[in-house]
Amino acid sequence: MARRPRLPGALGVAASALGLFFAGFSTHDYAEHLDRQLHGAHCSFIPGLVDVEKGESGCKVAMYSPYSALFRDRMWGGIPISLFALGVYGLFLALSIYLLLAGDRASKRSWQAFGATALTPLLVSFVMFFLAATRLGHFCKLCIGLYVASAILAAAGVLALLKAGGTAGAATSSATDKTSSDVDATQRDSKLPWGLRPKKGDTVTGDGNATNTRAKPAVASDIPSGSFIVFPALLAALAAFALAPAGVYAAALPDYKQYLRSCGTVVEATEKHGALVKIPTTNPKQAALTFEDPLCPTCKAFHQRLVDEGLYDKLDLTVAVFPLDSECNWMLDKPLHPGACVLAKAFLCGDKSNKARIVLEWAYDNQDELREAGKAGIDQIRAKVKNRFPDLDACIDSKETKQRLDRVLQFAVTNKVRVSTPQLFLGDTRVCDEDTDLGLRYAFAQLAPQVKP
Amino acid sequence: MSNMPWAVAAIASVALAAGTAVFVEAEVRSAGQRLTHPEKEAATAEPAAAVADHTEAPYCTPQFKGVLKRVLDACGLVGGEERRGCQPADVKTFAEISDDDFVALFAPLAERGAIVMFNDNSDALDDGAKKLIEERWGDRKGARYFFVVARASKTGGADANRALSHKRANSVMFHLQEATKDPDLDKQVGMLWLGSEFAQLPKEYCDKWTNSRQGKPCNSEAVNRSAFVSWVDCRL
Repeated sequence: MARRPRLPGALGVAASALGLFFAGFSTHDYAEHLDRQLHGAHCSFIPGLVDVEKGESGCKVAMYSPYSALFRDRMWGGIPISLFALGVYGLFLALSIYLLLAGDRASKRSWQAFGATALTPLLVSFVMFFLAATRLGHFCKLCIGLYVASAILAAAGVLALLKAGGTAGAATSSATDKTSSDVDATQRDSKLPWGLRPKKGDTVTGDGNATNTRAKPAVASDIPSGSFIVFPALLAALAAFALAPAGVYAAALPDYKQYLRSCGTVVEATEKHGALVKIPTTNPKQAALTFEDPLCPTCKAFHQRLVDEGLYDKLDLTVAVFPLDSECNWMLDKPLHPGACVLAKAFLCGDKSNKARIVLEWAYDNQDELREAGKAGIDQIRAKVKNRFPDLDACIDSKETKQRLDRVLQFAVTNKVRVSTPQLFLGDTRVCDEDTDLGLRYAFAQLAPQVKP
Repeated sequence: MSNMPWAVAAIASVALAAGTAVFVEAEVRSAGQRLTHPEKEAATAEPAAAVADHTEAPYCTPQFKGVLKRVLDACGLVGGEERRGCQPADVKTFAEISDDDFVALFAPLAERGAIVMFNDNSDALDDGAKKLIEERWGDRKGARYFFVVARASKTGGADANRALSHKRANSVMFHLQEATKDPDLDKQVGMLWLGSEFAQLPKEYCDKWTNSRQGKPCNSEAVNRSAFVSWVDCRL
């Protein structure tokens, strides 16, 4: 009769399977991007049953963030942390199966070691949850799936720690079965006076005296204690399982160096009339030029990535504001981001009072609201700009600002840049779009090694 | 039997480790193959973004571009030659341009162009003329070319008119240089100076086109004492 509950093992199996499921999809999504094409992400609690999401999503934000992978400056895209989860949950699945099958035959130390190590994924989840909440402001659904898996596994671990020595109730009855005989009817027929005869539940000692064992905890003396060596052994196995997929991944990665300089160069790095905006940064080390649209969500994410990676303030940065709005940009037949021209002009006007970056980051911070205002009409977005930057209002309408914006756009024509944003040039080299998200650190390490994140 | 759980767990762990490794390797290898053979992906890939370019307006028909190119070739705006501007002889020789060609070239530009008017026998720009030139230059947005076509009326001799026409074109160009300080002006502005013997503008231009002396009398002689300025938003 088993005296340990099967729940820790069963929970462990369920949690590990769940963890493998979500870590597998997360790894798949990440590895898809290694071909440098645009892909969606399985941003769902039931990945595989719903289509991948294209465009920006919480999962994309998490994937492109600096917290989703390690060694990004050494390998294109780095080593996704989902790989570690993949290996770890594989080990915990095997361990949970063992606990489930072994029951009481598993040593106390092995239950304890399982219990202790089963808490580690939850610790990692806490860290990732904190980063997602405080740094990203987005929670990816696959990540939440992994958080849930780690919580269930931790619950299994706690149960395993509590029940490592056996269940008290079950141990009592079981122990009495083996260490002494329960009082049966025959024993109750002893010659002792009635008041001294043993009752049901009492055990009879060798000399025939009865003692009551109902309230006493039993010692599960038949559960092997095991060796303490199981702790370091399990930790070593945990490390090996965590690292093995990462090792395979790193060994299989293609060489990306040849692709980094394949996206062209800038023809004229400066605009002769000074129409571009120089952004003051704290530690400029590398000349860089960006084409950005204040209402472009990808630009916002890109800007955020540069800041998060610690790269932005190391750039000697010039911004060519490039609104994808046909109201001022003749390269479009219809507005992709209505209202972007107003913000582009506000950005140029902000340059005069050295607050162009403030204008740009305000636009990014309030992008959703401004995009809605832009769709509702120029007057609405204009009112929002005026409300926030009343001192720029007159400048936005001026002929000089319009001509300056035209010159920025003509600069784009001169350089034959693509009508898309964002675009980054490091020195003369255009950084491929594929290298502005997952490959950002690697691209910087190769193209601008003096800029170390 | 007592070792059975261990055996199952060991087999499971080896299988899971191997399965994970195979899965990871296959995912990365597959991406690597797509990376080295992108053509297979091209069919499903999103269309590439357009390249930034100058404006291409609907009036830029093949016929219009043909005339435009002949003028631009002859006037040094194409091919990076040093010469700037065209005399009537140049136009006739190189551009082989006729009156009909001129109509084809300028008629669609009514909304974009304007007529800068001069006093009789003068190449001086008045304030209205300067303002109009700057406005038109400022309005060109993504237009690749800006044209200045100076004329002289039939009053006076042919040589004098031709010289006067040249001076009027230069007046516009000098003002643009002064106002814009643009070092690349030569690559954008095409000048033609036409004497009285060439393609006189009809009086209708007084009504259809904006001129620098709005509200003042305009007749066929006045409208030809002028420099026509317009941006041309065609790509060649």
